[in-house]
Amino acid sequence: MSTDDLQRDLTRRTENAPQELLTRSFFFLCAVLSIVTTVAIIVMLTTEAAKFFSLTAPLMGVEGPTASLVDFLTGTEWIINNEQFGVLPLVSATLAITLGSAVVAIPLGVATAIYLSEYASPSAQRVLKPALEVLAGVPTVVYGFFAVVYITPALRTIVPGLGTFNMLSASIVVGIMIIPMVASISEDAMSAVPDSLRQAGYGMGATKFDVSVGIVVPASLSGIFSSFILALSRAIGETMAVTVAAGSQANLLNPLNPVDYLEGALPMTAAMVNLLTGDVTGGGVAYRSLFAIGLTLFVITLVMNVISDVVAQRYREEY
Amino acid sequence: MATRADVIEDFGHVSRTVGTVFRYLLLAATLFGIVALAVLLIYVANDAIQPLTADPGWHLTFFLTLVVPTLAVGGYLLRTDPASARFGAAVVGLLAVSTMFAGGAAMIFVDIVEPVTWFGYVLALTLALAAVVVIERFDRRLPFLARFAAAGAAIVGSLAVIPGFVQSLPVYPTDGIMLTLALGAPVALAVGRYAAAGAGRRGTALSVLTGVAVVGSGAVLGPLLAIGAVPATVLLSVAVVPTAGYAAGTVRRNADRRPGLAFTGVVLGGTILGAVAVDALGFAGPQSWVDWGFLTSAHSGTAADAGLYPAIGGSILLMATVAALSFPLGVGAAVYLEEYAPDNRFTRFIDVNISNLAGVPSVVYGLLGLGVFVTYLGQPTGTVLIGGATLALLILPIVIISAREALRSVPDEMRQASYGMGATRWQTIKNVVLPRAFPGILTGTILALGRAIGETAPLIMIGAPNVLFSLPTGLSSKVSAMPLQVYAWASLFASEPFYQAAVPAGVVVLLIVLLSMNSVAIVLRNKYQNQQ
Repeated sequence: MSTDDLQRDLTRRTENAPQELLTRSFFFLCAVLSIVTTVAIIVMLTTEAAKFFSLTAPLMGVEGPTASLVDFLTGTEWIINNEQFGVLPLVSATLAITLGSAVVAIPLGVATAIYLSEYASPSAQRVLKPALEVLAGVPTVVYGFFAVVYITPALRTIVPGLGTFNMLSASIVVGIMIIPMVASISEDAMSAVPDSLRQAGYGMGATKFDVSVGIVVPASLSGIFSSFILALSRAIGETMAVTVAAGSQANLLNPLNPVDYLEGALPMTAAMVNLLTGDVTGGGVAYRSLFAIGLTLFVITLVMNVISDVVAQRYREEY
Repeated sequence: MATRADVIEDFGHVSRTVGTVFRYLLLAATLFGIVALAVLLIYVANDAIQPLTADPGWHLTFFLTLVVPTLAVGGYLLRTDPASARFGAAVVGLLAVSTMFAGGAAMIFVDIVEPVTWFGYVLALTLALAAVVVIERFDRRLPFLARFAAAGAAIVGSLAVIPGFVQSLPVYPTDGIMLTLALGAPVALAVGRYAAAGAGRRGTALSVLTGVAVVGSGAVLGPLLAIGAVPATVLLSVAVVPTAGYAAGTVRRNADRRPGLAFTGVVLGGTILGAVAVDALGFAGPQSWVDWGFLTSAHSGTAADAGLYPAIGGSILLMATVAALSFPLGVGAAVYLEEYAPDNRFTRFIDVNISNLAGVPSVVYGLLGLGVFVTYLGQPTGTVLIGGATLALLILPIVIISAREALRSVPDEMRQASYGMGATRWQTIKNVVLPRAFPGILTGTILALGRAIGETAPLIMIGAPNVLFSLPTGLSSKVSAMPLQVYAWASLFASEPFYQAAVPAGVVVLLIVLLSMNSVAIVLRNKYQNQQ
């Protein structure tokens, strides 16, 4: 090899060599795919939902039956065959599921997080953490089946008036499902509290209970709240468990009234599944109502995720 | 002085009751979910397998041949030599999990992909890879684009020509021989190299040849034992050869773990002995709903005859599609974000966007699949391809996030060392970063696939049929999946017999598949963490 060759080899610029360019652009395209996905979701949901409402349908050039936006948002009847598309019964059922699962998951999840971060020995953590992961890993349709076949009959011994499909057992299984989410995010926040704070507490004569409840929990409050919001957004989007367990009767519920949990209802996600397993043919107004509910769902969960992010970022105590 | 003593006394009294009660309340709350799920799982397993319907003699026989010796040997090993005990248990676990995967693979080769087609594609890929190696070796000074184009042409050409050519041959070898060459040989090559690592060329060649011979014996003996050549070769190459290779390799490197094999032997021997004894003594086993008929028959209107076969096949094909799509795309995105991306507004936007996508409900992904693939691209509803693509989009954020974590754990010194030796960025990624991060990436991908295999809602949204009587045969045929079939039984056929028989059995099969996938991922993760 001559010196010229050596010189060229040592000083070549590789940044824009064809091989480098090719691989870099491939990786870049992969990363951009996530943005394309988001844009596709938004564009598709809004255009299809726009065809559903009578206000916007003419702009999309759609003929045929449509629904008015006001009726959609304020109507209290959801009867597909009568073309009555009032979303309130669905929203009330979703709210009921969310509230019910929160009652189960929030206390249990926070208690689990405190135990794992403050009390459990490392060997106990090694056993408990994968076991909790299993809770989140069981398919949701399986949870729905559990609710109908095992939990409802068991609850009937306590609450005699319980229907076959009811919101109570649906809320319980959704709650069990989201415990790991509350627990793991809260536990991360609690583990991030510096040990010096705990030592200071012990130095003042506090007991372990005082330190856990009086120091660690307040110091990690932003993380705990962001875990609540994320877990509830998961409960709102939860589909198969509620489809199987909550029934298919679109009743308008009062989520704050415990008696309403004894009967079935139709949450938004279950309504979407029912629309498709029924005889909905592509292109009809019922088909488009699917996208209107989907858009509502997407907006709610997106807003909750963003809020959770903001809470975690802005209200974090920096040490 | 008396008052001061009181004060000191007061300081000395701290009630432990509150703390103790609190601690046990926390423990109870932690265990609540786990215990609740465990109870539900016991109920569903009891409904599906019905162990109490078996003859007491059946239980007694297996207790004597399997449970007692296993406990005795296992307990003794755990006390004297825990490392060997773990090794013996790992061999048993590997055999169980790989046998299950072998069942799935055998199903593919019996009903979906003909061995000839598989043989043709493997041959084509081998020749193409050989051509690429030759092109790379030919002359390094050839411009990169020319080499790249030549390699691409070799791969595309060989894949286009050779499978068709092989199928058009008037005479070709039997299915058993073809599978031995196209499935057994690659597996034997990998396993043999692992088992004989450091034993030199002859040792490696010998162990690879042994592996091929074992698989080949299945091709010959399978038909004689009424198993069939295809299932026998698949079982040998997917389950037996890897397990044996793992056991042999470990024992060769750590001779002191040899006692662990006694545990494996006791479990296997006890199972076989128990089965033979039960058969000879005429004790009836449990009337399990999860039986051979359930696994190999299609849906039926009566719960007792309903089976999961098309759904299992559908799930396997879906998982293959999802893995093929989400693995390269997810790892690619992670590599870009970790290794290339400048710290600017656009990168942060992608970052936030990915974490938001991870929180989008799965039904909305189903709507995306329905809207984009079916309505806009005009694909038929409910096919393997759009089902797989939708599920791949669903798990992509999870794959990206876990792959980024794995890439981040590669120490920067390794990258600097590689750059210091004159490697380019892509060479560094290819030779240093990716191999080091691979186990972590694999773990994350398996866990994400576990999520995808349990998803039902997106499949319903894209119009996958609730009831399917035959296996999907390709990417464009209609697909069902295990959770979808369970949903159909639990809601559309909601009746007492289905709740008692078909649904629990389906749930048990689905959970076994999921748990074994998760355990593979967890074992990989532990091994990887110990190495670091």
